Amino acid sequence: MSMEDYDFLFKIVLIGNAGVGKTCLVRRFTQGLFPPGQGATIGVDFMIKTVEINGEKVKLQIWDTAGQERFRSITQSYYRSANALILTYDITCEESFRCLPEWLREIEQYASNKVITVLVGNKIDLADKREVSQQRAAEFSEAQDMYYLETSAKESDNVEKLFLDLACRLISEARQNTLVNNVSSPLPGEGKSISYLTCCNFN
Amino acid sequence: MADNLPTEFDVVVVGTGLPESIIAAACARSGQRVLHVDSRNYYGGNWASFSFSGLLSWIKENQQKADLSDECEDWRKLILEDEEAIPLSSKDKTIQHVEDFCFGDQDSAEGVEEAGALPKLRVLGALAAQGESPGPEKESPAEMGIALGSQESPAEMGIALGSQESPAEMGIALGSQESPAAEVSPGSEKENAAVGSPGEEPQGCSEAARAAAGDGAGAAPGPGAAPSTADGDSAPQPAKTEAAPSENAAQEPKKITYSQIVREGRRFNIDLVSKLLYSRGLLIDLLIKSNVSRYAEFKNATRVLAFREGKVEQVPCSRADVFNSRQLTMVEKRMLMKFLTFCLDYEQHPEEYQEHESSTFAEFLQTRKLTPSLQHFILHSIAMVAETESSTLEGLQATKKFLQCLGRYGNTPFLFPLYGQGEIPQCFCRLCAVFGGIYCLRHAVRCLVLDRASGRCKAIVDQFGQRISANYFIVEDSYLSESTCTNVCYRQISRAVLITDQSVLNTDSEQQVSILTVPPLEPGRAAVRVIELCSSTMTCMKDTYLVHLTCPSTKTAREDLEPVVQKLFNLNTEKETENEELQKPRVLWAVYFNMRDSSGVERSSYAGLPSNVYVCSGPDSALGNDCAVKQAETIFREMFPAEEFCPPPPNPEDIIYDEDEIEPEESGLNNSPETKPETSAEESSSEGGAAVTKEE
Repeated sequence: MSMEDYDFLFKIVLIGNAGVGKTCLVRRFTQGLFPPGQGATIGVDFMIKTVEINGEKVKLQIWDTAGQERFRSITQSYYRSANALILTYDITCEESFRCLPEWLREIEQYASNKVITVLVGNKIDLADKREVSQQRAAEFSEAQDMYYLETSAKESDNVEKLFLDLACRLISEARQNTLVNNVSSPLPGEGKSISYLTCCNFN
Repeated sequence: MADNLPTEFDVVVVGTGLPESIIAAACARSGQRVLHVDSRNYYGGNWASFSFSGLLSWIKENQQKADLSDECEDWRKLILEDEEAIPLSSKDKTIQHVEDFCFGDQDSAEGVEEAGALPKLRVLGALAAQGESPGPEKESPAEMGIALGSQESPAEMGIALGSQESPAEMGIALGSQESPAAEVSPGSEKENAAVGSPGEEPQGCSEAARAAAGDGAGAAPGPGAAPSTADGDSAPQPAKTEAAPSENAAQEPKKITYSQIVREGRRFNIDLVSKLLYSRGLLIDLLIKSNVSRYAEFKNATRVLAFREGKVEQVPCSRADVFNSRQLTMVEKRMLMKFLTFCLDYEQHPEEYQEHESSTFAEFLQTRKLTPSLQHFILHSIAMVAETESSTLEGLQATKKFLQCLGRYGNTPFLFPLYGQGEIPQCFCRLCAVFGGIYCLRHAVRCLVLDRASGRCKAIVDQFGQRISANYFIVEDSYLSESTCTNVCYRQISRAVLITDQSVLNTDSEQQVSILTVPPLEPGRAAVRVIELCSSTMTCMKDTYLVHLTCPSTKTAREDLEPVVQKLFNLNTEKETENEELQKPRVLWAVYFNMRDSSGVERSSYAGLPSNVYVCSGPDSALGNDCAVKQAETIFREMFPAEEFCPPPPNPEDIIYDEDEIEPEESGLNNSPETKPETSAEESSSEGGAAVTKEE
């Protein structure tokens, strides 16, 4: 067990219909693998990847649904304390896109108010089977105030970008909040780590 | 989502309450194929927690009790000749006498809707009542958690149980409390800085946590243990600063209206069952052992209170508390310490209590050198046993248990899960799912199918008429039909939930989690347990308190509990109330209900159940969760005597996929990940994941 050091730790949670490639995205990003035909991910709770952004070590803890999305039975506790949500659909599957509002309702109900949501259309390697146009998705994401990106876990298109951009956004959000928070004197025990103030704020 | 359920499992679990969820997790963990279903659209059954609007729907549902005789018996056709059907009940009859009261202006709340997490959605839906909707700049200071990387998690202020990778990493890991490294002295910012440092410290904490969790009784329990605490709340820091940036903080408690409660309804997580976790109870042990603790975060109960001579007072229970107490005289302090020290190892001194073994604990206390107030504290707030019934030994055991739990995580023996008790079953469900368990809410089971020849249950038939076979079946009591339960005698639990505007005992900090036992107001009644939760437990909105009252029923919940509510709270909506009433917290909203207590039902009293069908009970009325954990473990061991019960899963950071696994699984089920206790996972992933260890 190595001593770890990192400047930020974020919990990122994936949701979306079964079979849209959530696990593939995570495994592509964390391990550089694309496992074709892999079944449900047994025994894997979440994956970790530490990335460096502008000299700062950011540890991303990426949580998968553990198959509970299959019958729309994700536990509320899954959403608790997530910093970001990746809402995924399959561009070759209209149904997975049409289910998005339902997922949004769930986020709305259970996630934290400050969660960043990214809409991801996966499987762009199957462009000839596309059922959901980029424009529709872009309009939808705009209306919902989400970031939007299309990826291919298979070809590794935009996968790094997805997570790295997200990490950047999370860092800047965290910074902003630090600045805001610093105005008032921190309340002990109310979610503030003083060290963050000193490391991020006073420079 | 026209996905069909698989039709073959090893274990089918019906109901998602705590014992069922633990069993499901244990089974999946040991490699069984588990199907876990619940006919409701939420997890937890009677262990669930709800947002405010969710609770209102639950109330409506239970008040209407629409007796739909929808018993469509089509499924009977699916039963073969050599089989027999054991029908399950489709109606939940465990909740009765639901009465809710609003003490504010309910009309003003008309048209007000719950605000969601996504600001844009709200605007889109034009939900927000214009002008009333809190603008973003106003909203942010109200946030509980303060966003700082992982810090964003509100759970920050909580305790993460023994887990090194919990999102609340910066929080304090359960088990680490005993180690000096993790000790946070309330209010001291310097020490906070040391603990929260993003560098090596968190790891340090968790190492300590693991060590502490591993060898269990590392530090001496009891009043002697350091009163370390994870909550800075006991610091004399007025929470008013929180509101400072946006509003000129009003000094008096803010007046919360009903429409505010509705709008902030999402902030409520209202438990149907009110419990706390004993810090050395079976549930904490299981959470740590199974690593399910990583899915939840906890907060210490901060105060133990007593109700004596019409007043609420704080009970000193740790050694530090006793010494610092201003309400006790020096003599009393000495008496109390002496008695508590004796209780810690009373078994060693049988001569002290032997002659009182046949009397009650209350009588025994009278024989000790204790003042009436000390006797009251010990009997009602520490031992929490019945005055007229509990024997000396029961009282001593209970006192000892309380004392042993002190100091592990703070200066009370109890923890409360952030977001409510309803999180806990879900956490076990997550573990089950991670190990391949299949989850399906809103899925009713019509009947169990009994194979006449073997006398065993071989399948269930679900609401779609689909037959699903398995070797073992776990069914929660409320799903059993009346014919199965004709001989069963159930007890009832009386419950009340109040939303109030002030704490029952105002002190320097608003953020308190308190437990109070109110002795029976008249003979023949039971003591009432009151648990008051503050907003930082993530169970109620800012400037409110959530108060849970619980007792074994003698009558309807309202009849049992309203007298206590009247003693402690101000129920008047009018402004012109007497001075005395004004000092009491005002009740803004209340609900009463009776819940069936199916714990302690002998298996033999259920009629006609095959031996491979196991029954789990609903919540019991006790404070702790030992009953559910014991039941789960017992059932699991009966089914799988050779298997370990919820062993620790591999650390996600140590899981390495080798190339075998990338091949489409030829060997069927054998796709369990390799586990290596090396650091290579971290390293390889940091480098972009190019390096993957290959086995052969």
